[in-house]
Amino acid sequence: MGKYEGDPEWDDVVPIPQDDGEGALAQIAYTDEYAEAMGYLRAVMAAKEYSQRVLDLTEHIISMNAAHYTVWLYRASTIFALNADISQELNWINEVALDNQKNYQIWHHRQLLLDHLYPGISSDSAALQDLTESEIEFMTQMFDEDAKNYHVWSYRQYFVRKLNLFNDAELKSIETLLRTDIRNNSAWSHRFYVVFSDPKHSTSGSRATEHDPRIPDEIIDREIEFSKAATFEAPQNQSPWNYLRGVLRKGGRKLSSQECFANEFVKIPEDGEEDIRSSHALDFLADVWAEEGKTEKADEALRLLGDKYDRIRKNYWDWRRGMLKEDEVTKAVEKVELGQ
Amino acid sequence: MQFLIKGQKHRHRVVFKRRAMTGSDPSSSASRSVEESLHGDTQYRQPYLAGPSSVGGEEAVEFVLSSPRLATMSTKTARASMVPDLFTSLPYIRDLLNTQSSQIQEETIQECLPFLSGLEPGAIYNDYGVPHLERKRHIQFLHKSLKKLPAPYVAADASRPWMFYWALAGLSALGEDVSQYREPLISTVRPIQNATGGFGGGNGQMSHLAPTYAIVLALAIVGGKEALDIIDRRAMWKWLGALKQLDGGFQVSVGGEEDIRGAYCAAVIITLLDLPLELPRDSPAWSGEGAILLTGLAEWVRRCQTFEGGFSGLPDVEAHGAYAFCALACLCILGDPHVMIPKYIDVPRLMSWLSARQYAPEGGFSGRTNKLVDGCYSHWVGSCWPLLEACLDGPFRSFAGGPRPAATKSLGSLYSREGLIRYILCCCQDRTRRGGLRDKPSHSSDSYHTCYVLAGLSSAQHKWHFNTTETKTETSGNLASPYQWTCEPFVGEEQIYNEGDRVGTLHPVFVIPEGAAEETRAYFASKGGF
Repeated sequence: MGKYEGDPEWDDVVPIPQDDGEGALAQIAYTDEYAEAMGYLRAVMAAKEYSQRVLDLTEHIISMNAAHYTVWLYRASTIFALNADISQELNWINEVALDNQKNYQIWHHRQLLLDHLYPGISSDSAALQDLTESEIEFMTQMFDEDAKNYHVWSYRQYFVRKLNLFNDAELKSIETLLRTDIRNNSAWSHRFYVVFSDPKHSTSGSRATEHDPRIPDEIIDREIEFSKAATFEAPQNQSPWNYLRGVLRKGGRKLSSQECFANEFVKIPEDGEEDIRSSHALDFLADVWAEEGKTEKADEALRLLGDKYDRIRKNYWDWRRGMLKEDEVTKAVEKVELGQ
Repeated sequence: MQFLIKGQKHRHRVVFKRRAMTGSDPSSSASRSVEESLHGDTQYRQPYLAGPSSVGGEEAVEFVLSSPRLATMSTKTARASMVPDLFTSLPYIRDLLNTQSSQIQEETIQECLPFLSGLEPGAIYNDYGVPHLERKRHIQFLHKSLKKLPAPYVAADASRPWMFYWALAGLSALGEDVSQYREPLISTVRPIQNATGGFGGGNGQMSHLAPTYAIVLALAIVGGKEALDIIDRRAMWKWLGALKQLDGGFQVSVGGEEDIRGAYCAAVIITLLDLPLELPRDSPAWSGEGAILLTGLAEWVRRCQTFEGGFSGLPDVEAHGAYAFCALACLCILGDPHVMIPKYIDVPRLMSWLSARQYAPEGGFSGRTNKLVDGCYSHWVGSCWPLLEACLDGPFRSFAGGPRPAATKSLGSLYSREGLIRYILCCCQDRTRRGGLRDKPSHSSDSYHTCYVLAGLSSAQHKWHFNTTETKTETSGNLASPYQWTCEPFVGEEQIYNEGDRVGTLHPVFVIPEGAAEETRAYFASKGGF
């Protein structure tokens, strides 16, 4: 006899068996335990029952299959209908999350809980402080397992936005992760968000790839220095190079403003062999030189990338070389038109 | 779009030593890696989907390869010499600073090198040092994935419809006739549909865009009136209205998360089923001001482009390969690629980021900056290229349309097709009796990877054109752009694989066999209304 079938507390419920259709494809041979629990879930969902026993039932199913969005969504509805204790729920899903690193659903569930919890504590600074500490601590635990976990980082962005954590503590905590692994691109991406979406000094709705005139110069300068310092540690690490380009774009500054810096990693003598310590520096300089109208130099940099330093991307570098020629033609046409 | 089943961890030890390459090419990166002994001992992550049904993947594998020297002409070295040094040697520039990211990257290179170098024991290589496609074994693997699955697959209970799609798309690409699955598919998906619209992960589960997308595509693949008539289009339209958000995006289920998968899956469903674009009145996005199902969708997608140039799952997160495809394919449903992509995307930044996903020596794609190659990105990243190429090349005209300056064109390929094909055929195939394709050599094959690795292979072996002069009937009406693609085998460079290893074509937007999308759309368009 099954767990629920033999439990008097469930006597009033008639489980609904799963209809898999005849000769179903990829039919799963469920354990009796799972099949029974799901039968009861279908029944309580059909009756729209929200109760403590539904919480117990969903917990049981999640322990057997955490990747079950229907169970999670129904559990969330039940929690809200019962006005159940949110912090208790958060503690419980911490355990589930640590055991299910790649799970989508837990993180959405967590957001639903926070959305529900927040209005009640938004003016209680002590409660907010406690929540911030416990959430950050939990995420740190998750990052210990996998510092690039996409779901945790998505939640982190949500959390920063929700609790307005665009602050030094948040920047420091990213720096801690970067000190462990300067190549952690997720941490770099999060930093970009925290710096450039801070409502104190950014334009609301400004896209990541566009100039935001509201960002103060000193912040642009600070971020340029941050990415430079990281680049010196490992010049072939692409993360700070991408970051630098992103910062310059936000600041509306030309790439050529960082020509000297990029030149630290690139020596191309008139004759003799060049010394290149970072293909990303060469890529950066190709754009700098194109910006400055030094087409030949730019073309040579792109040729070196395609023939020697980054050969797998040769077609891309050749496409960039083609773009240079087209830019030249366009400029020549403009000159002629101006002359007339 | 990935899920895990707990399986046994795999230990896979590879010890690989290499000596100096005697070639004198000064540009050879071998000069850096000479005399280096590479050692790898890695305990790998769990595979995406490794059920206990697996054959051959469970036992520990250990093999040691001694140092081949090109000077001594053994059969092994003769094979190695047929492989360009780009795919057998370490990258030209490497930093000394060691972190977790660089360490696992190093280990991955070491894991792949024996496979890329034509040194896998027991494998038969062609003149280019590339093994054959194990077509029969992969076919068997996919057929088996549709049979009864053992209890540990319970973790896939909410994503089971994906299994139908992955197997049917993969089998089609491998040239199999899948009509035998029409009847069982119909009876399988019928109890999964909800009266309130859409399909769930299984009977009694809430409707969700991901399994709905998978089922609609699976039905389109098997085709036929009976299969397509299963779908309750009116209820589907109402349900899509309930998912539509005021900011332009779509939730994946009522009360679920809003992300770019939702945007792409919704667009696919709307166009394939030829649904009306009007917004149902009870939609949360209803404003009374003429908003439709697609209002603000392209703008929402645009907000997902990150400072790196790639796309994130939702605004402000890290750029990720799977989401780049969702973004581009969604835009290519909303309009013509050469119009929509430049209008909503910073193309040079996207090109830079996307191109940086291809690594050497592995040849395959990674999903994010400083992450590892994985066979599934052969599709998620690889299949972005035909869409971008169409964006750069402009419409393919069968009459004199005046050539654009050659420089902006894609030159036929924007990435190394050879690199990707080598990674797929050398590293992603399970050549044991188990069959199937995989993330990388240390991982077990599964139907997710089998489908998307084959989709990437197909994309690398063909050239797609976007046409504006096609006058097919299904191109009339709403969202007609995705039905204007035609395809030919790609023959631009030296072909490193045997002609028999060319797989079938998969539509660049819908990722189902060529023709299936057009037929599906034409069928629903001919109905006129629900």
